[in-house]
Amino acid sequence: MRLPVGVKVAFFALLVMGTYTYFANSIPQIESRPPQELSLEGGNVTPAQLVRAGEEIFKTKGTCEVCHRIGQKGTRAPDLAGIGARAARTRPGQSAKQYIIESLLQPAAFVVEGYPPIMPAVDRPPIALNRSELWALTAFLQSLGGTVDVTLDDIPKTAAAGAGAAPAEVKLPGDPRAGQAVFAGKGGCVACHVAGKVGAGKVGPDLSQIARIQTPDYIMRKILDPAGMGTVAGYPGGVMPQTFGQTLSAREYTDLVAFLLTLK
Amino acid sequence: MNGPTMAWRWPSILVATVLTAALAWAPPAGAEEAAREAAYRAFPLIGSRLAVWAVAQLHLNFAAFILGCPIFAVIIEIIGWRTGEERYDWLAHEFVKLTFAAFSTTALLGALLLFLFVGYYPRFWTYMTSIFFPTYWVYALLFFAETFIVYLWYYGWDWLAGSRKWIHVGLGVLSNLVGTAILFVANSWVTFMISPAGIDESGALRGGVWAAMNNFTWMPINIHRLIANIVFGGTIAAAYAAFRFLSAETDEERARYDWMGYVGNFVALAAFIVLPFAGYWLGREIYAFNQTMGITMMGGFMSWLWIVQAILIGILFLGSNYYLWLGMERIPGSERYRRFVPPMLLVLTVGFMIWATPRSMVVTLDEARAMGGTHHPFLGFFGVMSAKNTVVNLMILTTFLSFVLYRRANRESVRPWVRTGMGVQWAAFLAAAAVVVFYGVYGYFVESIVRIGFSVYQVLAVLACIVVVMAIDIPMFRGARSTGAIRWGTIAPRSQYVLILLAVTFTWLMGLMGFARSGIRQHWHVYGVLRDTSPDAVTPALGYAANVITVVTVVFFALVTFIFWLGGLGEKGRARHSRPAAAAAAGGSRS
Repeated sequence: MRLPVGVKVAFFALLVMGTYTYFANSIPQIESRPPQELSLEGGNVTPAQLVRAGEEIFKTKGTCEVCHRIGQKGTRAPDLAGIGARAARTRPGQSAKQYIIESLLQPAAFVVEGYPPIMPAVDRPPIALNRSELWALTAFLQSLGGTVDVTLDDIPKTAAAGAGAAPAEVKLPGDPRAGQAVFAGKGGCVACHVAGKVGAGKVGPDLSQIARIQTPDYIMRKILDPAGMGTVAGYPGGVMPQTFGQTLSAREYTDLVAFLLTLK
Repeated sequence: MNGPTMAWRWPSILVATVLTAALAWAPPAGAEEAAREAAYRAFPLIGSRLAVWAVAQLHLNFAAFILGCPIFAVIIEIIGWRTGEERYDWLAHEFVKLTFAAFSTTALLGALLLFLFVGYYPRFWTYMTSIFFPTYWVYALLFFAETFIVYLWYYGWDWLAGSRKWIHVGLGVLSNLVGTAILFVANSWVTFMISPAGIDESGALRGGVWAAMNNFTWMPINIHRLIANIVFGGTIAAAYAAFRFLSAETDEERARYDWMGYVGNFVALAAFIVLPFAGYWLGREIYAFNQTMGITMMGGFMSWLWIVQAILIGILFLGSNYYLWLGMERIPGSERYRRFVPPMLLVLTVGFMIWATPRSMVVTLDEARAMGGTHHPFLGFFGVMSAKNTVVNLMILTTFLSFVLYRRANRESVRPWVRTGMGVQWAAFLAAAAVVVFYGVYGYFVESIVRIGFSVYQVLAVLACIVVVMAIDIPMFRGARSTGAIRWGTIAPRSQYVLILLAVTFTWLMGLMGFARSGIRQHWHVYGVLRDTSPDAVTPALGYAANVITVVTVVFFALVTFIFWLGGLGEKGRARHSRPAAAAAAGGSRS
């Protein structure tokens, strides 16, 4: 039987595309997942936990590994093996943590000789590390040959002002004043949280600067699904109610979010 | 001309255009209100991301075809007009006919894409509108202009013949200028998403919309797409001709479509040779905009994508050359040049293998220990850009040599300076190859920041070679003695499958590059400005992307086949009732 030309051509085309598809499926499959936000604000974190969190950021959200290697000379950026000790000697008058923090926030302030000035400020989009993450990352870098002594207070308050927040996002329509009333009243948030001058609860993290350290997306999700978004280190899990999605009206919810976003 | 088919095309074009304009001109404030209600909505079953991805890629494919095809159609029409050879006019009309058939589908897919953005990504669309609102007006007006000009160009083919041909050619040129302007406007939106500019820290427009349009990647993508559209248009037109060749029942028809396939492939190949240079420029601008983005693109999670790309482009090189070599068999006198085929095949094959060599191998732990890492101790040297840039330039040179030999296959120069001319041509080839290899090897001994600059010298050497060789070749073979006419229609049928292979591969490659262009933004709608917070924010792995690309490519070819079949119905009707099909097309010619 003689096959029609259309059938032969279609079969040939499908065979070609099938081959490409098979090959693309047979090589390493790597997804790029959006980074998770890390919050250590107000938590009791041990240096070991901090270093571990920092290493994770180094390899994922920070995208540091794209250019930096540890124990291997890179062509784009310096080898970071021993940076914890070396940092204290690099610039006179600067401690190790000061040098590392400056390198992360103002990379152009000092560029290691022989390397191009290509490093971005990691507290700015698209990397956009928040203060907690900068703290952890600095601790990890200090641990590479040095002593971990960085505290959250060492990270400038001005750092990460736009971290993770999408500046161009549409502003929420909620009313912050009404949201404050929800925070103190119907929502019962004050029982566990402090938000500036509102509330005195110590069960949960202090939210006085929550808009500075977290994204609107995180805050909105956290209210609706506290367990799903994880528990801040150092605080008991499972305390925050899972029922705000049902107990608050849509208006109250957007008002509450609008209020929390004013806490900077 | 084509009166019966006009009736159903007009309404669909107008509906699509009006709907597009209506949505595009919706007040920004209204869109903002909508965005406040929901940042995202879920498309049923397949999800919003996949729906937008598929429709956007289909729209791009059709748009590339209808923008690319008229560029060379008008050039062919001008050749026919100036030389008086009717077959060129027939061919130009044939190409525009294909464009015309796909025109309304492109518009409808564009409107559908807009619906998807407005409906499923309202916050994103609101933001884009806040930046680009003035350009929507320009786009809609250009679209109206393009529609009317192309209609007039197509329907006025017979009416504006003879002494009024210059008006007709002018319409063709004008349609291309307007089409290019449409491309540039749409590209400003896409490139802003990759490399936003002209905005302040809050993402609001600072100054005029021009600053946002004129971002880092805008002009490189404009040029890259313009060239790629010509390649794409050429391959699709050649594949159409191949199908008609294989289905032909007469020698005359076979000869006509053999010639059409050759011209389509020639156009594609000519544009394809310079496409990698535009790609270099685009890559460099991405690095200039943001090093992290550039490094993520080339060395991060997308690094394996470039291996797949290398294989596809290698197939395009091999296929194009193989088609030329097969084509030489129908040219009397080409026997002189067959001895060059084995070395050219060797260069292309070795180049293909090196270009497709990954830097890091997929190995087991034991294999990694045996090799001392994931880099093979020997093959690892071929997985770096120095080697890849070198071989791709050598492959371009080889393909150009194939074309030069094909061009002179049945011609013998009668110029007295022919020996000198050929000597200079060979010297140009050798000098270019030497420069390419020198900088390729030298690149292993310098820092990356220096090495990146070497690719510019390699590209310039190849371009200089092309210019020098053609500058000599054209006068050298003007008035040349013919060794016999090309026997159109006698080419081996497998050559037509090569043309289909090229069209399928290039379409698939366009899908892959669409994924790359979108994927480098990772979890950002607008890089570093508007974050993707939807459940689809994950950038999928290559296997998943390949599955989507294949499905989209199959749908694209199914639609193209259906549309061309519809166009053919009108042709059959006219053949019965009016004039005979143009028979002049296949007249024995040397070209």
